[in-house]
Amino acid sequence: MAAAMRRLLRAGGRRGAALVVAAGGTRSQTLRLIYTTTAAWKKNVAASGPEKYTEAFIKKQIEEFNLGKRHLANMMGEDPETFTQEDIDRAIAYLFPSGLFDKRARPMMKHPTEIFPEQRKIQWGEDGRPFHFLFYTGKQSYYSLMHDTYEKLLNVQKHQDQMAAQDLPPQKEKKNLVGSRWLTKTELEEMLLEKLSDDDYSRFIQLLQKLVTSPCGNIEENYIKKFSREISAQLQKVVIEPLKHDDRGVAFSTGEGERKTSRATVIVYDNGTGKITVNGIDVLHYFPVLQDREQLLFPFQFLDRVGKHDMVCTVSGGGRSSQAGAIRLASAKALRSFVTEKEVEFMRQAGLLTVDPRVKERKKPGQEGARRKFTWKKR
Amino acid sequence: CCSGSHLLVLIERSLPSLLGAEEVRLSNQTIWSLTVCNLPSQANHTEHHEGRHYSIPLEEVKAVFPHGLPYRFQQQVKTFNEACLMVRKPALELFTYLKNSNFAHPAVRYVIYGERGTGKTMTLCHVVHYCARQGWLVLHIPDAHLWVKNCKELMQSSYKKERLDQPLQASSWLKNFKTSNEHFLKEIKTQQKYVWGKRESTEQGRPLGEVVEQGLARVRSASDAVGVVLKEIKQQCHLGSFRVLVAVDGVNALWGRTTLKKEDKSPVSPEELTLVYNLRKMMMNNWNGGAIVTTLSQTGSLFKPSSAYLPHELLGKEGFDALDPFVPVLVPNYSQREFESCYHYYLHRKWLQHEQARTEAGKEELRFLSGSNPQQLERLAGPL
Repeated sequence: MAAAMRRLLRAGGRRGAALVVAAGGTRSQTLRLIYTTTAAWKKNVAASGPEKYTEAFIKKQIEEFNLGKRHLANMMGEDPETFTQEDIDRAIAYLFPSGLFDKRARPMMKHPTEIFPEQRKIQWGEDGRPFHFLFYTGKQSYYSLMHDTYEKLLNVQKHQDQMAAQDLPPQKEKKNLVGSRWLTKTELEEMLLEKLSDDDYSRFIQLLQKLVTSPCGNIEENYIKKFSREISAQLQKVVIEPLKHDDRGVAFSTGEGERKTSRATVIVYDNGTGKITVNGIDVLHYFPVLQDREQLLFPFQFLDRVGKHDMVCTVSGGGRSSQAGAIRLASAKALRSFVTEKEVEFMRQAGLLTVDPRVKERKKPGQEGARRKFTWKKR
Repeated sequence: CCSGSHLLVLIERSLPSLLGAEEVRLSNQTIWSLTVCNLPSQANHTEHHEGRHYSIPLEEVKAVFPHGLPYRFQQQVKTFNEACLMVRKPALELFTYLKNSNFAHPAVRYVIYGERGTGKTMTLCHVVHYCARQGWLVLHIPDAHLWVKNCKELMQSSYKKERLDQPLQASSWLKNFKTSNEHFLKEIKTQQKYVWGKRESTEQGRPLGEVVEQGLARVRSASDAVGVVLKEIKQQCHLGSFRVLVAVDGVNALWGRTTLKKEDKSPVSPEELTLVYNLRKMMMNNWNGGAIVTTLSQTGSLFKPSSAYLPHELLGKEGFDALDPFVPVLVPNYSQREFESCYHYYLHRKWLQHEQARTEAGKEELRFLSGSNPQQLERLAGPL
């Protein structure tokens, strides 16, 4: 009976629980599954119940890993003491070369904590009594976290009242929230080792916000830091290079562009007559088709500078149309240095400065081309 | 008229400054009269007239150019109801050479060359018209490439066994030659007797017109008639009674390869064709009393890459050696002034109908897209 109780409790821990009926008599404890929901199919490793790997097992794996690391270092002739994970990866790639495309399918040797995912340990003792006081809420870590955070908030408010009572001005040093973000829901789930709902997550974030925005919130900075991450890659404003001058005193600027598989580099000179040279060949000879020349004309015509610049281009790869598109992009980028910021914005909105992302689509098996299917035959 | 032209010249001298200044807004009418206006087709065009168009009366066109003008230009003539040529530097250069040439010396050969579509054939036509006005005898072969390719009938020559005749081409050329040089045909007399067949022969002293009639009537012997005409002219021109201008378009065809095949599928080399053989003899500079003006052409040439335009590339070693001491004349794309002139001509003739084509921006666009190449500009302006 106790075992059956335990199983039921375990099942009850999942959302959308499966309905289990203990059928049969007292002797045979067969459990018959009547109904499950889709949520139950999704494998939540962290919250999948008591751990499948015992602590002792993990410890043994770690010992074996360290031993194996030393052996590997010896094999490769390097110092076992200073053998890092990168060295291990390189050694494994050397000893077991694999042609598989997926990196995760190749042979790897990593620390057991990376391989065996963290799981929740068994939450109750031998007598069946749970350790944590919030166990019966179902989401014990979440509620304990909310409890702690609210405690901090009360702390802050108490401190604030104290400061107000002493008539001291509240500290206005706000932590800069610009370069940081809160944990995402998945990150929080990984941290707490149990499933959350969107509502829970938003409530937690609201609480954190309240904590941060209240004055004297800096007291709990350490606590808050645990839940925020830095955003390293900021949006970079595109820097427009200033004009350079060559030996004759003529101003020029360079630009690079690409389209499909063509790459073009372009030098646009000022005080010109509209002469264009591509790979050392005159533009009329290199692009006999009018359409390509129209593409080259477009940036200049847009800025009303048709006959005023000379251009020297080098282009490689692709076909005639993609080479023309690449030169167009490169010349538009080069012209940014000659032109006011407003016009640069106009160019951007006209689509002259955007790289065309269209490339040839991959052919799929079972089809004749990327989209074209084989001729359908009725029989 | 003289003072009028003086005035024009004075205004023209100040033209470059006018054209350079952007603030000066000349009305279309003044631009027309200053830059483009139709000059009367006098024969004395000088550098002052560079960039301007002059018109040829239509009857003269039919008389002088029965077969010389490019096809697109002929269509333009029909559309505009007038034939206007632009006076350009290469043509003026040739005029000075021709004026100062000493006709006692052997004939000088001029080779007009240039990239595709820059106006070589038109320059040649200008020179032909100039010389025709001056009263020269003009031997104008419109396109020598027509003689070495796409020939439907090849006959074995009766005169020489190993040569091949081309009756169709020869007869068409004779017809055009007749229309262009009527009065000369009566003046020149044959200097020996020619036997065409069992029953036909031309006595000595008969006018050349009879030889031409013979060639036209008896198509089988047309090529030989052409040969006779060329020989007679060559023999008699040094006497000084008339000047001869040999104008050949696409002269590189004479020394290239042909696409013709004999009955046994062996390729024909140019020397084996009567017409080419006789023409080559004409191109030698062993006669005096005239000039030879030729054009290289890649467009109709056989087995030559499309980027070739220099004489030694298109003529090959054989041709270059044969033509060796020649005066090359390069025909470039339009200069700024010439481009403006052409643009205003089209505008004046209401050929450019698109509103944007009539603006400054449109002109710049046309200049960019055509690369100042005359042919490209003409093709671009067509749909506008």
